[in-house]
Amino acid sequence: MNSLLDVKKLKVGFEGAKPVNVISEVSFSIQKGENLALVGESGCGKSIIAHAILRLLAPEARIEGSILFKGRELLKLSEKEMAKLRGNELAIIFQNASHALNPVYSIGRQLAEPLRIHQKSGKTDATKKVLKALAQLGFFSPEKYLKFYPSWGSGGMNQRFLIASSTILEPELLIADEPSKGLDPARIKEVERELWVLGKEAKSSLLLISHDLGFVRRLADKIAVLYSGEIVELAKTSVFFKQPRHPYSQGLLGSLPENGFVPIPGLAPALCESPSGCRFHPRCPFQKEKCLREHPELKARDGRAVRCFLWA
Amino acid sequence: MGLKIEKLSKRYGKGLFSRETELFRDVSFKLEAGKTFGLTGPSGTGKSTLGKIIVGLEKPSQGDVFYKGSSIFELRGSEKKVFRRKVQMMFQDPLDAFNPRKKIERSLLDILSLLKIPGSKGPDKIRLMLKTVGLNEEVLLRFPAQLSGGQLQRLALGRILLLEPAFIILDEPTSALDVSVQAQILQLLKKVQAREKLGYLLISHDEAVVRFMADYCGKLEHGSLSLA
Repeated sequence: MNSLLDVKKLKVGFEGAKPVNVISEVSFSIQKGENLALVGESGCGKSIIAHAILRLLAPEARIEGSILFKGRELLKLSEKEMAKLRGNELAIIFQNASHALNPVYSIGRQLAEPLRIHQKSGKTDATKKVLKALAQLGFFSPEKYLKFYPSWGSGGMNQRFLIASSTILEPELLIADEPSKGLDPARIKEVERELWVLGKEAKSSLLLISHDLGFVRRLADKIAVLYSGEIVELAKTSVFFKQPRHPYSQGLLGSLPENGFVPIPGLAPALCESPSGCRFHPRCPFQKEKCLREHPELKARDGRAVRCFLWA
Repeated sequence: MGLKIEKLSKRYGKGLFSRETELFRDVSFKLEAGKTFGLTGPSGTGKSTLGKIIVGLEKPSQGDVFYKGSSIFELRGSEKKVFRRKVQMMFQDPLDAFNPRKKIERSLLDILSLLKIPGSKGPDKIRLMLKTVGLNEEVLLRFPAQLSGGQLQRLALGRILLLEPAFIILDEPTSALDVSVQAQILQLLKKVQAREKLGYLLISHDEAVVRFMADYCGKLEHGSLSLA
């Protein structure tokens, strides 16, 4: 079966006075209707992967490998073809909603924009669809919000406006970059329900980027744990939370409130200065001689993949 | 001797075009040395405003805050200076808490010069503080934007510790941080509290964090505080 999105050996680096490699050989795939979560501490490269898929990285970025979306190689498409895809079949909910919305356009206009550009909808038709989308996101009397500006709304409201604008064309793949960041628990519940409904009704697939493990647990079918620019564990959500295999995954789960806030010692390395050997070894409680020298491969077994010598 | 918060109320507005709105009324509780009071409640109920009133950054509409038996709004001169030093506030976003144009070392030395600590003793004090909060000395040469959220939040705590406070108002100290970093900061706060006998007011909408940290707690909702 062909996957909806197939990322193979993705490498991202940035040119400059001192070129750096930030993402090394990341591979994963998303089937139709499946939700995959990319988790990891901030600065481990989650958003870079999302932006690489949409080809939104700065011009000095060097991307290698392959990103197949419905069998088409995204890295070889022209900018014009890419623009047709973006927002239409492939959409993103950016981090920090209040900054991602345009402050000088009304919500009604911003939400109608994808319809008018991609579907060439007329004004009345677009407005009708915008109203429907707003109502779906739990806004009572949506007409009120057509002339609303982002600065008038709270963080939670803006997040929902942004979700509405990203999902209005029912994209086949939606990338959600930290959709729960900075929201209070009640708002997180709303966002979660919205994303869930979208998956069920519109049959959209979701690439969820988050460090909120509780949120991820309820939404994702599969989890990929990212550490210092590489995947260290890939497993089904249910299996992962029951039995995390990589020491880093175990540490992440240990930091959760229900497990008593036991932190991982040390700090996450910057992407441009990854340690030699296994990248997690300076913080790993089980490190061995071998971990200091050799870099472990991602080994797949029993439907999961782990990058650790201890598991091999 | 603790901090006593008595019947605080805060109202806003009452301009030409706006009606007066009441944020909260009759909020009373006590902060004690070595203990943590956890304050929860939904966004927008005035948790942060309450914190700011307690450190003297805002004035209440009614009520009073007593530090060592005297009202903090009537303190003058050297007494007020002592109070400002002893009751500190740590903010949600550590990046906003540091001057972006100064290197960390400069920011910290500024604090010490305010305390009139001689320049020769400054570096030692800073080194000791960095050890307490678990940071490397190289952070001193960086600008705030070059550090991670966790590092900055450690520094924010360290900067407060340089002042040798008695009470710290922690306003959502971990909500901008990742789960793993959150765990580190919470453990650090507990460690420092046990050593220095600090009193904390922990403001957070994350009830799990409050349960973990607090000795006693209250919920600010619909304008009033219910103690649990």
